[in-house]
Amino acid sequence: MNSLVSAQGVSKLFGSFRAVDNVSFEIDAGKIIGLIGPNGAGKTTLLKAMLGLTDCEGQLSVMGLDPFRQRKELMRNICFIADVAVLPRWIRVSQLLDYVAAVHPNFSRKRAEELLQQTKIMAKSKVKELSKGMVTQLHLSIIMSVDAKFLVLDEPTLGLDIIFRKEFYANLLNDYFDEERTILVTTHQVEEIENLLTDIMFINDGKILLSSTMESLGDTYTEVSTAGDEATRARGLGPIAENQMFGKSVMLFEGVGRELLEGLGEIRTPSVSDLFVAKVTGERK
Amino acid sequence: MINHHLALLKREIWEHRSIWLTPLAISSIVILGTLTALIFAGEYAQELDVALFGAQNLVGDTERKAVMAGLFFGSSGIFFLALGILTVFYSLDSLYAERKDKSILFWRSLPVTDAETVISKLATALLVIPVAAIVAIIGTHLVNLVVTGIWVSMKGGDAGLLIWGSVPLIDNWLSMIIMIFAASIWMSPFVGWFLLVSAYTKRSPLLMAFLPLVLIPMLEGIFAHSNEFAKAVWGRLAMIPIHSGVGIENLFDEDKFELNDQMVSVLAQIDIGRFLSSGSMWAGVLICALLTFGAIYIRRFRDES
Repeated sequence: MNSLVSAQGVSKLFGSFRAVDNVSFEIDAGKIIGLIGPNGAGKTTLLKAMLGLTDCEGQLSVMGLDPFRQRKELMRNICFIADVAVLPRWIRVSQLLDYVAAVHPNFSRKRAEELLQQTKIMAKSKVKELSKGMVTQLHLSIIMSVDAKFLVLDEPTLGLDIIFRKEFYANLLNDYFDEERTILVTTHQVEEIENLLTDIMFINDGKILLSSTMESLGDTYTEVSTAGDEATRARGLGPIAENQMFGKSVMLFEGVGRELLEGLGEIRTPSVSDLFVAKVTGERK
Repeated sequence: MINHHLALLKREIWEHRSIWLTPLAISSIVILGTLTALIFAGEYAQELDVALFGAQNLVGDTERKAVMAGLFFGSSGIFFLALGILTVFYSLDSLYAERKDKSILFWRSLPVTDAETVISKLATALLVIPVAAIVAIIGTHLVNLVVTGIWVSMKGGDAGLLIWGSVPLIDNWLSMIIMIFAASIWMSPFVGWFLLVSAYTKRSPLLMAFLPLVLIPMLEGIFAHSNEFAKAVWGRLAMIPIHSGVGIENLFDEDKFELNDQMVSVLAQIDIGRFLSSGSMWAGVLICALLTFGAIYIRRFRDES
């Protein structure tokens, strides 16, 4: 078995509330996985369990380690950016680099300095003097200078403008990602990253609704825009979701062969966000 | 490995600048105070000249030493007090601030264990802050000696005899260093308690730390009609078991009723053996260890979402 993350029956309870409910999945190396879920779905809790920040039930192994009990070892090979701006506000950029260089065996200070030179961030600035976008740039520069196998990003671009967001992901892809590295990212702005992803996982109410490669998504899910009699016939095939748009019915099918749908209307692979909405609202019904 | 742990301590000094700013500020005040006193003393020029002359010719070595030792050890007292207050605020803030500004998520994303982090904060309170105070005290003493020496020379006194020859510097400094570290070990259960509160509380750590220390003795008094808790906690502030027991009657030679050297030497009044064999001291160290362990446990197990 060569998976980077292996979860078997993982649960996390807060009192009687199941934030993560008996979840099982595998993540292989060399992937970019999008973990998508509405607020309160259990995304952050699941990430925290994988990062060893919270204990959980079930069997969870990350890079062969028990994340909660072997957090220090794990953190040598894993990096993460949490969903809130977490760099300490009082620290100077140079102090931050000094500190990380001293405690992190896989950190390259030279690389971090090179990356920072491409930005407007000054070594003597304090974090609290930087704009929100610059703080994220700083954090990303540090993380990209760590030779880590696994990068976890929890809403990394929250509150940033579109230019920073685009730049963030471009840097990540061009300067960081390769076949040996794995990135797990959660975001609300799924349409911005769906082209980057190799795999997606949907999570809702603590359960995994869908786990698939992006490639095979088109084999399982089909979207048809149709109207009139064709729409009635299509409805007979049991769509998992239906919306009205410009006088047409847009239906989403799961596991229905394309050959059956051809001739019923315009066929395409649904976008991740449409699929996500269909799965989550379908679940609620 | 050493670098790793030094970085943790450096981090504390970067974040809590008061660790070095407070001793520096007090040094400046004490030095300024000395300068001001010397300048104003110039107003009584004639009397001082006579006094200096008298001190030089008549007063014995021991008396001169006693006055200077008292003066210097006295000026260390203000540092002791500041050190105590600084330690209270530092340890209460140390594990609270990182949760308040959420930077704990960043610190925990690095390969540093919770035990290492909490112990680095304990070490800052019990070692780094005392060292900062010691450096400041010695620095202040030296500056004051130089300034006073120059002043005495300007007045025509013999600075070599009256100032440099009269201060038992090494005795004074050694005893000050021993006292500071003994105080830090003796008070360590308080530091452990503050760390625990700092790791645990969601708001106002100062209140949460002192409320139980005030309420529990009150409740004990009302319901159990005893004051064991108050004696154990507040009684601890009263005396460190390190005094060698040189009584006032031993300080003077009975026949001649003169000062003897024991009074001049602060070191002679310190009994390290008594301190190290004090059960109360070791009990405090144990309580500090348990409370620190509690703080580590909380930082490790509490979910910070």
